[in-house]
Amino acid sequence: MMRTVEIFIVILIMTGAFLTASFYAVLPSPRQVSPLNLSRLALTTLETLDAENDLSSVAFETTNDTAWNGLQVALSASLPTNVIYNLTAYDISSGEVQNLYTLSRSISNAQSLGMDSDAASYIVASSNVTFTVTPQKIGVTFYILNCSDSSGWWITGYTIQSIAQQLAEIFASYFEPSSIVMVQNTTQLGQLMNDRPLGNETIQNAIIINTCGEPVPIPQSYATLYSSDYAQYCYQLGNCSELYNWTWVSIVGYPFYYVTNTQVFNGVQNGWGIYGINEIGPAGLNAFLEGIDGQPYSNNGNWITDSPGVVTLTSTALNNCSYYGIFPSPTQTSTRAIPESVTAQYNLSIATDVLNPTGGSIPGAVLNHIFKAPPPDTNVTGSLFALGLTRVPDTRLAAIGILSYYNPTLYKSEYTAAGTSKLVVLQLGLEGG
Amino acid sequence: MAGATIDHLIALTIFLAALLLFISFFNQMNQTAILYQYHSYIAAECSDVLDSIMLNPGAPSDWGVSGGSIQNLTFFGLQDPEFQEYRISPFSVMRLASTTNQVYNDQTGQWYNDLAWGVNGAYLLLQTTDSIRYHNVTSLLGINGTYDFQLSITPTLTVNITQIPGADIKLEIQVYGSGFPLSNANLDYLMFWANSSSNGGFPILNSNFTSDILQTDSSGIAFKEFPSLSNDTAFTFIAKVNAVGLRGTGYLSQETVTNTGNIIPYIQSFDNGTAYIVLAQQYGHDDPLPSMGDLYYNASFYALPDTFVPILGGNFAGDLNYGNGNGTKNLQVATNNQTGFMVIAYGDGTHYGTVVVPLGVNSLGLPVTFGSNLSGKEWVATDLRQVIIGDIAYQAKLSLWSLTGYQVTS
Repeated sequence: MMRTVEIFIVILIMTGAFLTASFYAVLPSPRQVSPLNLSRLALTTLETLDAENDLSSVAFETTNDTAWNGLQVALSASLPTNVIYNLTAYDISSGEVQNLYTLSRSISNAQSLGMDSDAASYIVASSNVTFTVTPQKIGVTFYILNCSDSSGWWITGYTIQSIAQQLAEIFASYFEPSSIVMVQNTTQLGQLMNDRPLGNETIQNAIIINTCGEPVPIPQSYATLYSSDYAQYCYQLGNCSELYNWTWVSIVGYPFYYVTNTQVFNGVQNGWGIYGINEIGPAGLNAFLEGIDGQPYSNNGNWITDSPGVVTLTSTALNNCSYYGIFPSPTQTSTRAIPESVTAQYNLSIATDVLNPTGGSIPGAVLNHIFKAPPPDTNVTGSLFALGLTRVPDTRLAAIGILSYYNPTLYKSEYTAAGTSKLVVLQLGLEGG
Repeated sequence: MAGATIDHLIALTIFLAALLLFISFFNQMNQTAILYQYHSYIAAECSDVLDSIMLNPGAPSDWGVSGGSIQNLTFFGLQDPEFQEYRISPFSVMRLASTTNQVYNDQTGQWYNDLAWGVNGAYLLLQTTDSIRYHNVTSLLGINGTYDFQLSITPTLTVNITQIPGADIKLEIQVYGSGFPLSNANLDYLMFWANSSSNGGFPILNSNFTSDILQTDSSGIAFKEFPSLSNDTAFTFIAKVNAVGLRGTGYLSQETVTNTGNIIPYIQSFDNGTAYIVLAQQYGHDDPLPSMGDLYYNASFYALPDTFVPILGGNFAGDLNYGNGNGTKNLQVATNNQTGFMVIAYGDGTHYGTVVVPLGVNSLGLPVTFGSNLSGKEWVATDLRQVIIGDIAYQAKLSLWSLTGYQVTS
């Protein structure tokens, strides 16, 4: 009898063990075993509703009951009948706020979605949002030599005025409007060289871009003054660049190869049939470099540029092409590249390479003049940005060079900024939990 | 001593019985848990396969518009290659061959995949050689011999159009989705109808695209009446529903059998912007009688962009006479890979009918079911996605089950 009693005690213990094991070994419900992927269903529902931007429109019309009722009808029509939902739109706050998301409006067809609900979120943008890019302003004066009494050379297919117009358009957003100054004639250029601004702009630290190509406009007074040797005018320009810390931009060809003034040189042509242009030759560039470095003038007619042929944009320039949205061809042909030897000879240092240096020549770079002789100086006193490319000029290359040098920041509006986006969350559950 | 022995025997018997009972209980519990684990695995596999089909265009990705690429498929998918996410190619879906619904045409000597056979006057019959078979799909998906599935792609919104008896054509358009009527939905429509012409028995195909916008009431119903058209006029009516974020389409084409039969359009192939359609004279769904006379037709193909403004792509007119050995006519239609439909008006000179054939399932909102038969399967996992075809909302439902019992481990 005792053994039987003991067995019953054993059975009780085993029953207890079974019940205990059953208590902890809870099997999931069949619905949990083979669940509908509610998260994916929610996401695809949101994508479907927003396929034609309808969801975006409704999300921003939080006070429009008709629109939200329509959305509720569409949700009910698109989801299986046993699926319950809650759709909530949130405002997205910006800045340092306690709650990044603030409830905007919500619709649901059930008070509770049960334990096993799942959700998907979706960012919608307002149709009223305009994506804007605001460039940082470059705080210097931008002079464009648009001299009506000048002629151009190596700007085939363009006119001085059309190039000036292109440059003004490209740089319009990068400068204050009053800082983009068209120099309309050579007299105004002479005015600048004598430190007399044309308006309220600042002459110091200005950029001067020569749209004439290889010729440089010469005021009548300087033409008269240097009639025996026009290279001295280039020397004077170099002096002015050092004095006023100008950045002189030559967009194509051999810089300072000619001087141009249609009044002064009305019977003179450049050797290729273009009147109003007088050839200086290589002495012009040499004189400018002497002038910018404060060296004594000497008429040096030695040809100094190289012809490296096909050259490529630097990686920095390519990145800046994407950043600023300006896309010149990444390969160019250089036949008038300044030699690297000038950097030592005239205290120049490369500030920004636009085109990769090759074979000891610099096809396109901003060269800063920094006086190195004792006592050494760190201040920039004048710059030369020479694109030693063959014709015809590409103003986009000049633009990339200048933008790469000054590197203005682009401030872009973001969709996550307050009022431009909303977060829509669709939570789905199954009836009966 | 005997009492103690008996006591031992009883105790041992009870103990062994109880032990077996509890082992059985524990075993059953473990078995159920293992089965649940397998079922859960099948559900995960179902979701994965569905996403794999919906989020890949297949390789080569142009197999939907290029029939010649079907034989070179190295991966299967239905995504529209021009879009991302859950957007399905309207042409790839047309190429899914049904394992059971196929029809044979004596005149062309070809088998055709039957996606719609006279459903409300629409035919979508694509030659089976231009379709992809289920067996190939399972192989390309890597589940051949492991799982079977059935894929149903059905419009989210159902648009039922019925003609109300009366002196003129009056149509009731009922819109609902998931059993829920769609109220205050806007409706646009296209109307085509056939008239007799003075040029023999050729029907004139008229159209009205300047639709006034209708709106469904709280029951999801709208009405449209054409007082100038008598109730026996052959017509094709296509409606598009536009609710908040949901678009659907429906149609009704008045197919009739005239004294010289009727026309059934068969799509021979469509490849790189050109569709080849055979118009076959028939008698109902049977072969025509040799004694039947001329059956005249006038067919127009329209590309149908998302704006629901059809663009005429080609017009074809002629006659069929089976008894004269002229029972079929081959049409070459330039579709430029755009979805659309062909409306075919036909008649014997006295009586007229119309049928419509879509190019791209979204043009008429046709459903597609593809795969194996799931009836009688013991454990079927299902999953659902909302997808877009063209701009029409569809639901893609995949039902998947294991072919190796529950013991699926890979």
